[in-house]
Amino acid sequence: MQKKTRANPELRRSVTPWGSFSWGYSDVGADIFVGLGLVLAAAAGASNVAFLFAGVVYVCIGLAYTELAATYPVAGGGQYFVMRGLGDIFGFIAGWAVLLDFTIDVTLFAWTSVDYSSQLLPSLTNSVHPWVHFVAVFALVAGLCLLNVIGVRESTAFNGVVSALDVLSESLILCLGFLFAFKPALLIHAMQFNWPSPYQLMLGTSLAIISFVGLESISQAAQETQRPASVIPRTSVSLILTILIFALAYSNLALGLQPWHPITDASGHHLAFWQIFTNNSDNQGKAVALLAAQVPYYGALAALYVPVLGAILLLISSNSGVFGSSRIAYAMSSSNLLPALFQGVHRRFRTPAVSIIFFSSIAVIELIFAAIPGLFPAAASFYSRFFRGENGLDFLADLYAFGAATSYSFVFLGLIGLRLTDPLSPRKFKIPLNVGMRFRGERVEFPIVAVIGFIGIFSILLFTLRTHVLGRIFGPSWLLLGLLFYLAYRRYRRLPVLQSVQRDWRNDQTEILRRSGELELMDEYLANLKASDRRRATEGSGV
Amino acid sequence: MLLIRTALSIAIVVCGAILLTEMFASIRMAGIRVLPGAVLGAAMVALGAHRLALIARVRGGRR
Repeated sequence: MQKKTRANPELRRSVTPWGSFSWGYSDVGADIFVGLGLVLAAAAGASNVAFLFAGVVYVCIGLAYTELAATYPVAGGGQYFVMRGLGDIFGFIAGWAVLLDFTIDVTLFAWTSVDYSSQLLPSLTNSVHPWVHFVAVFALVAGLCLLNVIGVRESTAFNGVVSALDVLSESLILCLGFLFAFKPALLIHAMQFNWPSPYQLMLGTSLAIISFVGLESISQAAQETQRPASVIPRTSVSLILTILIFALAYSNLALGLQPWHPITDASGHHLAFWQIFTNNSDNQGKAVALLAAQVPYYGALAALYVPVLGAILLLISSNSGVFGSSRIAYAMSSSNLLPALFQGVHRRFRTPAVSIIFFSSIAVIELIFAAIPGLFPAAASFYSRFFRGENGLDFLADLYAFGAATSYSFVFLGLIGLRLTDPLSPRKFKIPLNVGMRFRGERVEFPIVAVIGFIGIFSILLFTLRTHVLGRIFGPSWLLLGLLFYLAYRRYRRLPVLQSVQRDWRNDQTEILRRSGELELMDEYLANLKASDRRRATEGSGV
Repeated sequence: MLLIRTALSIAIVVCGAILLTEMFASIRMAGIRVLPGAVLGAAMVALGAHRLALIARVRGGRR
């Protein structure tokens, strides 16, 4: 086992602090392009409250990921933290939920990338030309799969440029929007007279969490960052706050926006800006571009380039789904949570081709299921009858919210577990609000924020199950299928089915810190271990 | 470059502080509805302060 690990080539640690920020930003930052329209359609006048609730939970998740990624800088991410904190079976469930999210990520972001492009190329509009839209999304997914198999990835430099352009552009939209188009009275009016029903608010909140998905990228960046324990906390806090500010600012601006060009419905009545998203999935898929176009003067320019920028950012995010799923599957396979087949590397290109093709195929199946109501009107009536008329975008968003809420719930539990079972690993960054206590003879710090975050994300999971008709069928089915597969695989391999495989975490941790260049932390860890062993020996001998 | 980043960070803090003040001034009229705006202001102050702390650390390191 040891030999095998050594034989694997290590990832080069060359990502700078800005590279680490832009890596996360190009993944999480794209989410608002998808989430804004969906939340405005569902939560109407309480959209900003939905983003606020999801945003507070997201800050807790972000802090948890920052601590875990800085302490355990490995690419496995949530699955690794949960496996180490709670055991193999929970690690599998968390990883499997992340895999669902990554496959949905591929389809959903390719879908919305085409939606943003349709702002400039109307022939790509889903409701008008569903087959053209379907073929375009399929071509993007297939193209990304092929690029990943042959080993072409977007470079960190390219991510950096797109992220910088996007931060600049979004800041401009928000600044000019708040300065010239924002009317506080409209916001208060929308909140007062268009407050949604509790059901709609729950739906909106569960959709708002999809604007904050992608924190796995923090741990993926950690694997390739030099001295991650120092760099990751710095970049993550900036990333978390930036994303939160954009989400809250966009939702407030959208509710209080005085459109530059008057918007009317079919009967000529004036509409508020946020009302153009109700029951209109075409508009929901390109909300930021529509909002940017309504900013006075600047909107004329923004209408030309924001759809392009949005489409590129969404495509990068879609690619991170293809790349991320193969990497997580590879990591899970290395930990005996999935068959060794998923470690299969292409002979010529040296990429995890089996994982890439397998999870891209699942993404295509999800795409077909999402596109069916648009492609076949007969099937649309079936969807309306059994699934409350949910459309393709709803289906993808349902599963995305379910996967995120499930995996994040386990990450909080994993963090609590690791604080209790691994108090000796040096933590350069700790989430605030900890209570000191003793556990199995060691002094540990119990994280209160993790408990608050768990309650928040678990309630979002319950909202998702309550309000997402497709999500509550297909999400748990995905987990159940995966679990059955896991149990059969572990039994076949004669590995502990419900228990965990014995691992030497001490050596693992030392190796992780050595590889990441955190030699001071490695020394501190070894000193902690020695002190703990000495203390236990003294206590054991009764001296 | 550091000067521009400092100016930007200060601008973020100032904007956040103005937003917070505006929100607290409107509590009587709008009640709990100011909460999303208040959190937005607080997040902007936090981001600006965090960036300023990083810049201060970089400057400290150079000296």
